[in-house]
Amino acid sequence: MKNLKEGVVVSGVGIVTPLKPFMKVDDFWNALCSGEDAIKRMSLPMLDTGRKWLMAGIDQSSFADDISLENKLQFIAEKALCMAMKDANLRECQNAGLSIGTVLGNVLVKEKRLIESKKQKTIYDYERESLSYVTSYLAAKYNLNGPSITISTACASGTDAIGIAARKIMAGKADLMIAGGIDVLSDFAIIGFHILQAITEEKVRPFDKNRTGLAPGEGAAFVVLESEKHASHRGAKVYGKVMGYASRADANHLTGPHREGRGLADAMNQAISEHNLKPREINYINAHGTGTVYNDLMETKAIKKVFGKAAYDIPISSTKSMLGHSFGAAGAIEAICCLLSIKNKIVHPTINFNERDAECDLDYVPNIARHHIVNIAMSLSAGFGGQNSAIIFGKT
Amino acid sequence: MRPVITGIIKISSADIEYAMTRVKDMVRQMRFVNSLVQLTVVSIGIMLDEAKINIPVGNNDISLFLGVDDSVEDIKDEYFNGILKEGILGASPLLFPYTTPNSLAAQVTIAFDIRGESITVPIKNTHRNVMEYAVECIDGKHTSMAIAGGIRLQDKNLTIKDGRYMAEFFLLEEAGNAEKRGSKIYNYSWE
Repeated sequence: MKNLKEGVVVSGVGIVTPLKPFMKVDDFWNALCSGEDAIKRMSLPMLDTGRKWLMAGIDQSSFADDISLENKLQFIAEKALCMAMKDANLRECQNAGLSIGTVLGNVLVKEKRLIESKKQKTIYDYERESLSYVTSYLAAKYNLNGPSITISTACASGTDAIGIAARKIMAGKADLMIAGGIDVLSDFAIIGFHILQAITEEKVRPFDKNRTGLAPGEGAAFVVLESEKHASHRGAKVYGKVMGYASRADANHLTGPHREGRGLADAMNQAISEHNLKPREINYINAHGTGTVYNDLMETKAIKKVFGKAAYDIPISSTKSMLGHSFGAAGAIEAICCLLSIKNKIVHPTINFNERDAECDLDYVPNIARHHIVNIAMSLSAGFGGQNSAIIFGKT
Repeated sequence: MRPVITGIIKISSADIEYAMTRVKDMVRQMRFVNSLVQLTVVSIGIMLDEAKINIPVGNNDISLFLGVDDSVEDIKDEYFNGILKEGILGASPLLFPYTTPNSLAAQVTIAFDIRGESITVPIKNTHRNVMEYAVECIDGKHTSMAIAGGIRLQDKNLTIKDGRYMAEFFLLEEAGNAEKRGSKIYNYSWE
């Protein structure tokens, strides 16, 4: 990247999603490539409304420990962080930092307090409801004494947290950063997206002609980032190299994307130029792909704008077709999917894809995973407030 | 790259009416859903105007790095209490988008057509993180100009008119860029 004498690489990944939660990353990846759908009808976590929504939640029975609902976020975040650290074979973290993206953070703690009509917050409540609570907790517990940052850029939070962490290493502020995204299903968000009519009543069908919306999801995902020199010095295995990152604002609408994908196209172009790449070198895209009418169309237009005719030759898949939209965690989960695609030479499918949309006419890897040698992969994220982010990973 | 400061603003929510008189018609005519948004947009509007930045910006030359402390928690409480009171029907579609902290930055980007990076950092007591990141981004040539600062809850016992919230922002830019624009430069070094 522009001021980088040497690159930043990913040396560990950790992931907890509704698909094979708390199991090995390979188990998650195999399930994803098999097209397993984690989305099902579920009740709200706390409130009893007498109805069920389509969402992807981590099955309570899969939690080995007896944890209370409001501690779920902290629990899955810690599990994913530990997986990533173990995967990177980190015995000690000198000058290591932590960067976490989240949209609503520990909102279940707030919900519980308000449901119990606990108007007077204790200092402990106050701390735990803060969006930066989990970051502070994990940084303290695992002695991550480098930069500690919480990012909240709506559904692009996970991607931005990784991009910003990479820049911290480039700026010499840390030797190593653990970065990712976290969010859990909450009444707060599910009802919010319901009233905005964004939640589907049918299956999630990203890029399909008959797509009707998204399904909320949850998860936690972290990557271990370090300078190439640092990774080489300690003999770390490497998943891939960060080859570009950019964030751009639509400056257009609070909840809807720019209809022509102006901000997302700009983010892609900027990320591509950071490492002097050419668009044709990107040979896999993990799309934001929520399954809403406007997002998928906007995203397709943005990809065409950047790649021109070459857009038709790039496999594009939507992880959210199987995992739902895990908000702050989504970008980090999808970044890991890009890295696993590079490692395993396979791209996962976009499931529930039945009928082609005349305007969404790219290669969305419909329903079946595909063997594909991925040299350079790009993950896209967009969110409320006109947030757009693109991050690129390449083979080392 | 050498970042310098070319704009400074600090406004309390107690002074918002006076501040409104200092912004151009475009901002005066905006309808604000809540006082936090109004304070953020008005503060940045005055700062950009004083720094002689053409508005609307209309490009990605300026990035926005915004720190927000627990002041947005007020909006979350209001939204969720609506649900507790009236069930799903009590959920406000107007309030929900404002429960995510980046809604403040979003309104700024929309108001002034700022298309660069927009990063929101939920942070307590200080906006040091966003200032530091803005410097790093200019230093790393990721942006040539950056608005950095934030909104904080001054005193939860105060009303908005009494100064519940405080907005503080800086405009940072690459020194060469500032000199070329003939900007007023507040300092030449950054520690």
